[in-house]
Amino acid sequence: MGNLLEHMGIERDRLHFSWISSAEATKFVDVVKEISEKVRALGPNKKLVKDYN
Amino acid sequence: MDTCIKKIRELSAELLEKGEVQKVIGFAQGTIPMATSPIAIESKQDTEKLVFNSTCGLNLANYASKQKGKVAIIAKGCDSRNIVTHIVENQIQRDQIYIIGVPCTGMVDKSKIATLFEDEITGFTEDGNTLRVTSSSREEILKKQDYLRENCLYCTHKNPILYDVLATELVEEQMLEKPFPDVDRIEALDTDAKWQHFENLTKNCIRCYACRNACPLCYCPTCFVDEAGPQWVGKGQNKTDVNTFHYLRAFHCAGRCTDCGACVEACPMGINVRDFTRKLNKDALELFGWEAGLDITKRPPLDAYSPEDPDDFIK
Amino acid sequence: MKFITIDKKNWTKGIDKSRGTYRLFGPVKDKNWCMIKELDGDILPDMEYNESVMSAKSVLFPQSETILNTSLNESVEDHHIMKRAKNDYTARAVLGIRPYDAKAIQLVKMNFDTKEYKDPYWCDAYEATTFVGMAITKPGPFDFSTSVDSGPFCEEGLDILLADLDDSFIAKILTPKGESFAAACGFDSTIDDKESQALFDILRKEAEKNINCRVETDKLKEKNLLDLHGASFWDDLAFSCINCGTCTYVCPTCWCFDIQDEAKLKESSRFRNWDTCMSPLFTRHATGHNPRGVKVQRVRQRFMHKLKYFLDKYDQGIMCVGCGRCVKSCPVNIDIREVCHTMNTYEKKD
Repeated sequence: MGNLLEHMGIERDRLHFSWISSAEATKFVDVVKEISEKVRALGPNKKLVKDYN
Repeated sequence: MDTCIKKIRELSAELLEKGEVQKVIGFAQGTIPMATSPIAIESKQDTEKLVFNSTCGLNLANYASKQKGKVAIIAKGCDSRNIVTHIVENQIQRDQIYIIGVPCTGMVDKSKIATLFEDEITGFTEDGNTLRVTSSSREEILKKQDYLRENCLYCTHKNPILYDVLATELVEEQMLEKPFPDVDRIEALDTDAKWQHFENLTKNCIRCYACRNACPLCYCPTCFVDEAGPQWVGKGQNKTDVNTFHYLRAFHCAGRCTDCGACVEACPMGINVRDFTRKLNKDALELFGWEAGLDITKRPPLDAYSPEDPDDFIK
Repeated sequence: MKFITIDKKNWTKGIDKSRGTYRLFGPVKDKNWCMIKELDGDILPDMEYNESVMSAKSVLFPQSETILNTSLNESVEDHHIMKRAKNDYTARAVLGIRPYDAKAIQLVKMNFDTKEYKDPYWCDAYEATTFVGMAITKPGPFDFSTSVDSGPFCEEGLDILLADLDDSFIAKILTPKGESFAAACGFDSTIDDKESQALFDILRKEAEKNINCRVETDKLKEKNLLDLHGASFWDDLAFSCINCGTCTYVCPTCWCFDIQDEAKLKESSRFRNWDTCMSPLFTRHATGHNPRGVKVQRVRQRFMHKLKYFLDKYDQGIMCVGCGRCVKSCPVNIDIREVCHTMNTYEKKD
């Protein structure tokens, strides 16, 4: 799915897959931080967003 | 192809006469040049209607699995792979279907031929590798191999995978060094250029769903675009909705598509719908070593788990 | 009724001049395809096209059209009350429309503009539109317009009919609307009416001679509706159909639509989309029951509507103008000419 999204022109860093146990609080925080940094760097997504006008 | 047609008719007549099958599903000559139409033959005398040529570009697998009783089907390489997929996916039982395999030398790209003429094509005949195409103003003699559909150019399974009988001798399969040059070209683009490529691709889409309905994989009783509660996707011509349809349909075909080209063949607007599915075929081959419809005993990769499945995308 | 001549050297200038008062639509080449589109900016119509893959019906009846809007914000006056969308109904002209497409709009009009009901969106668009037709001098092999009360020089529904004379067009001005458009373009060199009409007649006969398909419709009227409905040929005919909507969408006379509501945050709109009788969803009731749940019923519906119900209801011929688009576009080559022949010659066996 990540590959298809990337292929159609959605930046790869917008989609993340991680396996985190409920006991891995630190990993969860780290992953979320990393994701938000990457997505913030990309700016708001304008693709596949419906324009109603 | 004439001996092939003769053989198809003979085999069909025999099967019907012996009562081994109730129907033979094949192609009939169309009413306009370069057109053929799927047909179900139920009597021996009607087998004369069956033809096979380079314009039989649709896939018959879907027609066969919707029938009651035992049917025979004329199957090119790709049709046979979709029959395998239908058997694996429980759409039809192996003993319900008698496969008359036709080793295929490729189907012609009708729109490519049409662009050679300013006016409409009024005649089309073929003899081996030679195509004779006429319009009201002139005639062109063409080499079939120069006018093959793109999926036929990259085809590595011209011979039926599964069959009960063959209508002609098997043909030589090609080995391709680069089986996905079209996907490679898109992959080489940058993110925005990729996006633009697909935006342009679908700009004329009229959402007639001919691609979906011609596709042997799209047999869902209710397609997600037709679902009304909940409604997954808008129904208008909004480009996000149009593309959502195409992307999701493609994703539903992941690891199942045989690149038969029926979607492109059916599209009235000349959209190369395969641009969506080809990437998934490439991934299926590279990540799982999988090509759809080659083995009735194997489940498709997205349908089965193996500890060896690639998981480097999970961080 | 009068004739004018337009030197092709002045064509572009005239067309551009009209852009001040008219929104223009016309055939535009797009790779191998020709589409009828709005001629934004300085795009010129391709007057030499053979056939557009889609008809000109979308000029009045877009595939998706917003019809009503409302606000869901309760602090706004009139919230939740649907109001007509502010669509643009200023004067528009469609250039180079084929005579059969213009005739088709007259058939569609029978549905959208009746004594009892008027579709305001379609009617307003119709009122705003001037139809500048381009006579067909080289009919395609699938054109059977002369069999169905249309033809390459059919004037029905047109305001101006143009004929191409290599370095000039002759324009036959058919209505006051046509006159206004010609004036807006500054096309005013009148020529002798009698001579021009004689020339039109010659060109028309020449073009009609080149139409080789003939479809007989003469016995459809007298056929018993239920006999046709119950005929045994439908199963065979429908076998190959994949139930896509291609035939209905390319058809210039198909008018069915579906209504959808969409909302984003506090803004809601209602719009209509072309719909197709080929789709099971077209007739599915809220209960889940579907009176046309199987393919053969839907295929039968399409042809019975075009070739029988319409004829019986209005007695104005069949609902087909012979453009041949569905014949050419159908992925499985279901040919309306053959279906018409089958229905026209059908005899019930007891």
